[in-house]
Amino acid sequence: MPVSVVKHPPRRRKDQRVKQYQKTASLSLRLLAAWLFIFFPPLSLAAENQLHFVTWRPDPPWIWDRAVADFEARNPGVKIVREVGPQSSSAFHDLVTQKLKNRDPRMDVFFMDVIWPAEFASAGWALPLDRFFPPAEREQFLIAPISANTYEKEIYGVPVFVDAGMLYYRKDLLSKYGFAPPGTWPELVRQAKIILAKENDPHLVGYSGQFKQYEGLVCNMMEFVLSNGGSLWNEQELKASLHSSKAKDAVRFVRDHIIGDISQRGVLAYQEPDSLALFTQGRALFHRNWPYAWEAAGDARRSKVAGRVGIAALPVFPGGSKVATLGGWQLGISRFSRKPELAWKFISFMTDREMQKRIALVTGRAPARKALYQDTEILKKNPQFKSQFDTFVQAVPRPRTPVYVPLSNIMQRYFSSAIAIPDSNIDQLARRAARDMDRVLDLLRGREAS
Amino acid sequence: MSRRDFPAFRYLFPSFLFVCLFSLYPISESFRLSFYRLILMLPWLGQRFVGWENYHDLLTDSVALSSLVTTLTFVAVTAPVEVILGLCMALVLNASFRGRGWLRAIVLIPWAIPTVVSSQMWRFIFNDRYGLVNFFLFGDRTDLYIAPLADPSLAPVTIMIADIWKTSSFAALIILAGLQTIPGELYEAASVDGAGSWQRFRHITLPLIKPALLLALLFRTIDALRVFDLVFVMTQGGPADATNVLQFYGYKKSFGEGMIGYGSAIAVMVFVISLLLSLLYIRLIGTRVLQKVDQG
Repeated sequence: MPVSVVKHPPRRRKDQRVKQYQKTASLSLRLLAAWLFIFFPPLSLAAENQLHFVTWRPDPPWIWDRAVADFEARNPGVKIVREVGPQSSSAFHDLVTQKLKNRDPRMDVFFMDVIWPAEFASAGWALPLDRFFPPAEREQFLIAPISANTYEKEIYGVPVFVDAGMLYYRKDLLSKYGFAPPGTWPELVRQAKIILAKENDPHLVGYSGQFKQYEGLVCNMMEFVLSNGGSLWNEQELKASLHSSKAKDAVRFVRDHIIGDISQRGVLAYQEPDSLALFTQGRALFHRNWPYAWEAAGDARRSKVAGRVGIAALPVFPGGSKVATLGGWQLGISRFSRKPELAWKFISFMTDREMQKRIALVTGRAPARKALYQDTEILKKNPQFKSQFDTFVQAVPRPRTPVYVPLSNIMQRYFSSAIAIPDSNIDQLARRAARDMDRVLDLLRGREAS
Repeated sequence: MSRRDFPAFRYLFPSFLFVCLFSLYPISESFRLSFYRLILMLPWLGQRFVGWENYHDLLTDSVALSSLVTTLTFVAVTAPVEVILGLCMALVLNASFRGRGWLRAIVLIPWAIPTVVSSQMWRFIFNDRYGLVNFFLFGDRTDLYIAPLADPSLAPVTIMIADIWKTSSFAALIILAGLQTIPGELYEAASVDGAGSWQRFRHITLPLIKPALLLALLFRTIDALRVFDLVFVMTQGGPADATNVLQFYGYKKSFGEGMIGYGSAIAVMVFVISLLLSLLYIRLIGTRVLQKVDQG
């Protein structure tokens, strides 16, 4: 086109070239501004009277809706913004730590699994709550979750509810064959074998638990190992101990008798919901789960075995002592929150007696406040809480350490390899796991040296 | 920069900026971090320069090496199968028949579904109690039902099947584009010379779509090396670490365990492997094959 030839003569003068550079620069600056505008919403939004609460979806979901609405009604002008994270503990951990690592001020209050406070405290991510949560107030709560929330003498979270591993069983089938709930693991296997043989039902399995390679596997296996007098690692000496013969015997028992004998290989891919479904469908004789399963198994709309379920403490190995892994969730405040006072107000509302009672009644979760185990309404709905109080008091926390996640990943790998392969070399796998754990635990020694 | 290059540079600048911001910066940052020991939950250790220590650890880490084998096996199986299936699909889609437009759209559905959703679907399909696979294999003989996701030798296969199902159509799309560039006269001329359909495929179609095949193979190889979401949803690396692919291992190290330095070293290793493979493919596509096409 002749016009453009006039506009762009082949020989350009220098100032025109400079102009082009300027144009390019201004274009890229505008692009950058647009990018900033899209990805960094003005922080003034967060400065209003908003509180960001990072949580998972509770069951039933409306319980948080109501709690948040009640809190907002009591505190006019305050708005709780909920961010719902994934259900899986590990995935939720990665979401929360990502926000903490980025010092995100748009997370004030967040849920913590019982294994995280040490890590979050050590990393400087969780706010110490001593000034809000004095020792006298802590005494109202069960001791196990309070100590799980304490790191180097400071407290970092307030427990909302506690979990402990429980044994669920089919009352009807056990009484049909004249069995009492088993006190030992070998007895459980013996009963299951007899009942499976006599019932001759291809759909029925003896035991359903959580044996997928994930955090729940550590909870399940810890109960076997510790109830045989073994341990995972020595917290004082910072040395792995899961290669002791007692610990290995327990793992071998699970591989040969629980997985290989009375259960089915499918449990090696099961988390809580899958294993619970097996039980509520009437396809499992024994089931290991947290207290909330009582509510689900007893609800005739969701469970085919409603009314035929019994609950007991988990068995032990002969000569061992009773062990239930401590679980449960707590609320903490981010160190990067700009409104710690308001955040505390919300936490104390979410963990007061009234709210814990409501959560216990609606969800079947075990409250963290001791006094509620005397509450007539709760006991009427969950009569097992009374007899299980000792289990909650004595529940064993997973060892408290800032390097829990790497240790857990090593243990998950070890336990899964040991039980998923029928002829696994447990001695060798345990030795390797212990060596890897020692390397991680050695990192903690650096602190004393420096 | 010569004066002639100047407008080209101006037009490329925004995308150059984009690449810098979202590729070059993160990659160089990963490189830098991989030479440090930085553990988030142990802040008192600080951020210490450790040279090649992370890489040395990586080469002696039996978990990393076995996950490298798992990943490479995954790539070696899925990429060729996807390209072969994609070729079959592309040949069908290139033929003219009624409803071709619809079929072309339908074939792309697996690729359009977010991986997280389709992984969840495959998890159900492979379920040991109510999964479709068991139902098709054994019907109501529930005592024979198998648990692929719980079996260390079958779990990797389930991941591969899910990936092949999902991305074969992507390979098909690239190959279809290649098929459409072949002029019809070539086939006519061959027919006149008495070439059968196999001969036409073997001597016209295949050589002419070779660049497209290699391109599809390149994309699938690089993508398969970075497999993550299927494993995250379906198996979490288990059972017995049988599906612990490199990217998932690196993710667990960086995001779960807070071992930023070591996690970066794993990321760099994946990057270097991808880069080497890409260079190899680009060499194949860029020189030998393209020249052949030009001559043809």
